[in-house]
Amino acid sequence: MVKAPVGGAQRPLRTPFPYSLVLLAALAVPMQAQAAGTRAGSTISNTATASFDNGGGPQTIDSNKVDLRVDELLDVTVDSSDPGDVVTTPGATEQRLTFSVTNNGNGEEAFVLGTVANGGGDDYDPAVTQIYIDNGDGVFDAGTDTLYTPGANEPLLDPDESVIVFVLATTPGTVSDGHRGIVSLTAAAKTGTGAPGTSFAGLGEGGGDAVVGSTGADGQDAGAFKVSSATVALVKVATVADPFGGSEPVPGATITYAITATVNGSGSVNGLAITDTVPADTSYVAGSIRLGGTALSDAADGDAGDYDGTRVHVALGAVAGGETRTVTFQTKIN
Amino acid sequence: MRTAILLLLAAGLPGQALAADQVALANSVFVERVTTDAAGKQRVSLEEPKVVTPGDRLVFVLDYRNASARPAERFVVTNPLPDAISFTDAASSPLVSVDGGRNWGLLADLTVALPDGSRRAAQPADVTHIRWAFQKPIPAGGGGKLMFRGVVK
Repeated sequence: MVKAPVGGAQRPLRTPFPYSLVLLAALAVPMQAQAAGTRAGSTISNTATASFDNGGGPQTIDSNKVDLRVDELLDVTVDSSDPGDVVTTPGATEQRLTFSVTNNGNGEEAFVLGTVANGGGDDYDPAVTQIYIDNGDGVFDAGTDTLYTPGANEPLLDPDESVIVFVLATTPGTVSDGHRGIVSLTAAAKTGTGAPGTSFAGLGEGGGDAVVGSTGADGQDAGAFKVSSATVALVKVATVADPFGGSEPVPGATITYAITATVNGSGSVNGLAITDTVPADTSYVAGSIRLGGTALSDAADGDAGDYDGTRVHVALGAVAGGETRTVTFQTKIN
Repeated sequence: MRTAILLLLAAGLPGQALAADQVALANSVFVERVTTDAAGKQRVSLEEPKVVTPGDRLVFVLDYRNASARPAERFVVTNPLPDAISFTDAASSPLVSVDGGRNWGLLADLTVALPDGSRRAAQPADVTHIRWAFQKPIPAGGGGKLMFRGVVK
């Protein structure tokens, strides 16, 4: 590095200097979103100095000082925080989408929140029930997060501050597997919104004006639910084997029942159980319950099946779409 | 055209009157406003702002004049950049400092220390001071303009 050479190599610019060139260059610079930046209400002061010697020894003079007040810029962005569609099921309540709201302006500002669930581009409209403002831990908890009430508790954010917002919705009972429902969260500067450059006189932080920034002081982003449901189809087949090697339903013949549960859809069913009453005039064949290829005991014990004297019961638990479970048992015709 | 607009604005400055028998430096700031007219054409105007917002592009103009009877030797103009202004460019290639005025050079020749001890090339946003050091004396009655630009952080 070099020390400034007084009387050095720099050749000063003489008027007229090439403004048009400079301005053209400026136009080529892409407009970019500004981080919060200089705090609203502050003052930018510029003063230059000149040093010289016009015969009386070195002198230094100051220029006049130019003061510029910084007005409040109103800017906000909303971002969906969910990594993808949030899985829901028909009729489910308190289904949750997560968003973040960021004050990109340079002053403290409150933001009015809202939701749009009928914006189209999806298969159904989730019914938004509540908006909650996170308490800072990023985890939804209706007990500690704040229920948003328009006009009462708009989140007040410092420049560059973000808050997490949870949107709760009910999924209509009529939706089908694979359907998507989009909900957008909107956040608007309470001071005002509008086209960039719109000015609200005297309403800025520090007593200056508030000026709408490049976001229009109005942000929104979409989150989506995706319905994942499943249906169960049961098929029961009876096969008779008589004592003579045939298939006649005569006394002493053994009937093998095969009940096949087929689960369809992208979701899964929970607590699926098969119960079948042993028909009259037949006797259950002890120890005949099988789930797939596995024998189950008749006792109500650690395995999934039991026979209580009147009916066969097999608990299948959670079964995902695309899977089947086959339960078999046998009875003997009296 | 644009030059004419700016010079008119500059001429109409309310800035301090240049002392009759002294060397003087007048400082003025303009904000560039880009507007799009009905035909979709972008127009740039320079306005003298009272207020600015982050992202505003400012043009700083320093008007120097030697109103004394003798030439001003070793004429150096220094403008410390306000903290809230990020330097972008200047109409000539002034000397700059990226360390608060301790070391000076052309921006292309300066480097900035990184936390790991290495150094990277200085960027316009690193500039803390701008300086024009005149090679020749400013003759009696002579003067001119210096200009640089910055963005409100």
